[in-house]
Amino acid sequence: MTPTEPVARHGAAARTAARTAVRPPLPVKMVIAGGFGVGKTTAVGAISEIEPLTTEAAITEVAAGVDDLSHTPRKTTTTVAMDFGCLTIDPTLKLYLFGTPGQERFGFMWDDIVEGAVGALVIVDTRRLDDCYAAVDYFEHREIPFAVAVNAFDGRVEHPLDEVRWALDVGDHVPVVVFDARERGSVRDALLVVLELALARAEG
Amino acid sequence: MADGFPPPPGPDEQPDPVGPVPAVRPFLVTAGRVAGAGETAAERPIPVETQVIATAEGLDALGRLSFERHDIVAVCAVPQSLAEIAARLRLHLNVVRVLAEDLRAAGHLAVHVPDTAATHDASVLRRVIDGLRAIPDSRGVLRDTD
Repeated sequence: MTPTEPVARHGAAARTAARTAVRPPLPVKMVIAGGFGVGKTTAVGAISEIEPLTTEAAITEVAAGVDDLSHTPRKTTTTVAMDFGCLTIDPTLKLYLFGTPGQERFGFMWDDIVEGAVGALVIVDTRRLDDCYAAVDYFEHREIPFAVAVNAFDGRVEHPLDEVRWALDVGDHVPVVVFDARERGSVRDALLVVLELALARAEG
Repeated sequence: MADGFPPPPGPDEQPDPVGPVPAVRPFLVTAGRVAGAGETAAERPIPVETQVIATAEGLDALGRLSFERHDIVAVCAVPQSLAEIAARLRLHLNVVRVLAEDLRAAGHLAVHVPDTAATHDASVLRRVIDGLRAIPDSRGVLRDTD
């Protein structure tokens, strides 16, 4: 189906709908982060009402300043693919889930994607813990409510959660949960952990 | 809605495929303008979840719009986020940002930048939580514990 098809086929109906639609839904954004291949797109796809879409986002990478005489971080902008999905809560409210591109390089900024997000879920593969340090650091630094979700591939977790927590060096205020990125109910519950954090902060 | 959903992909995600987005053309359609080049809050790009909807004037003008502008207004007959527009039309996100602003200025689109205070409001978050809780464990089948 081409994007223009609804208008071409249902032009009159679409026009009426557009004329009567007062406001689009309020979009609430959450971020799904983690290293490459950790299950971000799988998690988005498990709960999204649409098949995950891919678009490009510009991320600004801040290179390590070892050879930098000016003491300002050298920034380069990279275009990366970003998968996302959504879930209509009701006609006035829609949840958007954006998977941030996983990078294991230096520091970088996801501000373009993360700006305005109510919270984030950092997905972790215990066999490759290093891949999520950047995401954990980022959300801690930005003071965005987040939880760590250990993806249990084949229902197994290689390390106890307290070891994961110790290795990631996250505080007790950061929930660490086990989930299965392929299971809709499991993804739902992990997102709820993050939303409860965001709510607690809002009620502060 | 049990049908129509593809089975979730396996845990081994493929390398991020960007798809057939042309490398050079994107910013020709914006006459070289780039969205969100600034560093200050006012110059920051509008968020990816910003909702865009065609106005009645925009839909009436569809026949006079061409190429990307036509496609953007047409796809926005239904409210869309910037990210959805970019993905569905295979346009660079920042190209959509620039063109959406042009089309808004021309009266063809309404652009609703989300109010961060509203999305972070406790009552809104409670509605999202309640809505999510109502999602069944698997698609199409309600939990029998409900």
